[in-house]
Amino acid sequence: MAGHFPGGEPGMSIDHGAMTILVVEDDVLIRMHGVDILGDGGFHVLEAANADDALVILSNGADVQLLFSDIDMPGSMDGLNLARVVCERWPSIHLLLTSGQHGLQDGDVPGAARFVRKPWSSQGLLDRVRDMVKV
Amino acid sequence: MSETGHQQADTDGAIDFEDLFETAPCGYLLTDRDGRLVRVNRTFANWVGSSPEALRGKRLPDILTVPGKIFYETHFAPTLRMQGRLDEIALDLVTADQRKLSVLVNAAEARGAEGADVQVRFAVFMATERRGYERGLIAARDKAEATVANERAESELREQFIAVLGHDLRNPLASISSGIQILAKESLSERGSKVVALMSGSVVRAAALIDNVLDFARGRLGGGITLSLGASEPLETILRQVVSELQSISPDQEIEASYALVEPIICDRVRIGQLLSNLLGNALTHGAKDQPVRVDASTALGDLTISVSNGGAPIPPAALEKLFQPFFRGHDRVRQGLGLGLHIASEIARAHGGTLVARSDENATTFLFTMPLAKAEEPGE
Repeated sequence: MAGHFPGGEPGMSIDHGAMTILVVEDDVLIRMHGVDILGDGGFHVLEAANADDALVILSNGADVQLLFSDIDMPGSMDGLNLARVVCERWPSIHLLLTSGQHGLQDGDVPGAARFVRKPWSSQGLLDRVRDMVKV
Repeated sequence: MSETGHQQADTDGAIDFEDLFETAPCGYLLTDRDGRLVRVNRTFANWVGSSPEALRGKRLPDILTVPGKIFYETHFAPTLRMQGRLDEIALDLVTADQRKLSVLVNAAEARGAEGADVQVRFAVFMATERRGYERGLIAARDKAEATVANERAESELREQFIAVLGHDLRNPLASISSGIQILAKESLSERGSKVVALMSGSVVRAAALIDNVLDFARGRLGGGITLSLGASEPLETILRQVVSELQSISPDQEIEASYALVEPIICDRVRIGQLLSNLLGNALTHGAKDQPVRVDASTALGDLTISVSNGGAPIPPAALEKLFQPFFRGHDRVRQGLGLGLHIASEIARAHGGTLVARSDENATTFLFTMPLAKAEEPGE
């Protein structure tokens, strides 16, 4: 399967080398996987295990262009609420939410946030992210 | 006395009407228009523990239970006056010793000899057993309804449990899947790579199983198959991905796939992927191992068609009919599966306004999915 796209598309990754993505996911393996995909795609990646940690990172002034967050997370805030708070306090950050649930679409998440369904394919996720930060 | 009466009737060929009235196997009552008893036969008087003489002059409601009195005044008498007759009305009488006696009554108005003088004739039948039987029937029906409601609630609970379980199973499975993909990029021994590939296949199988069980539970809960229609992502990408995933589960079996998807397709991509996954999984499991499985996806003549064919022994006609029923597994019980795959595939086809049919002969077993293209836009114009 991975043989379809050996090494990704090297030409694309250079353009977004400076872009920073914050990955928020409570499951360690899924988070590692997401970080791997985006890192291989040439992005600078920060990670948080829950919404509270994510807000701490953002409050400390990290220069994040895109927040990539799971929706179903334990803790004081789930991904949807995190997206609302980020949308309000840091309106320039692009929001991409993800979940394994059937049937969610872009229209089901708040504001300008977009949605991508789990499980992600490496290429599908990268395409989605590149499409968002280009605009 | 009645015996002599009968004998008389037999021998003379004439009927003793007086006796027939008095000792008939039913009660006879005659009342005036206001329900006052004019004449009562002996059978009836015996039933209520009284005599015809003592009853004469009383009003019929006087010998009814309280609810009976109300019923008589509000419904029985007005209806009788309007219609001239009433049949099979259930009433409860009160006997001299205050017992309740259930009866059925037929009543008809009759003009007296003078014309204007209206009398009402009643035939009264003992109905204790019948009413008891009816009450028994009603009780049995209520009980049956309660049982059905109970079972429905129970099965709903069971299906909700399945739905929650399936949903919760997805999370650890997604975690395992991520772990496998991380490992797959490490430099592994040949043996390690093989193990990772096999694990990956198992995750795909488990995920497909969970999807099918969830859809089935949702269908039973009345949700049915819900679609997220879209046309943005090319369908071919999804179909290729499904074929490559299933190829990874059965690396030794040949899959020949061809795609000719030229027209725009509005469908639920994930669902159509699931449909192909179910059909292809079925073909790989049940088809002949030494013959390739064929997948053809094309758009032509306003339809999207996806067909999956495999070689091997044909499916008997009787089994062919039941193929799309849930939990159908043919004779091949040993080989994996709950028997939900084809059922869910046919439900997905239906949700898209399409069809899924199966054909089977000595040459091949083929499942053909057909759905109309771009129909959703036309009615709006």
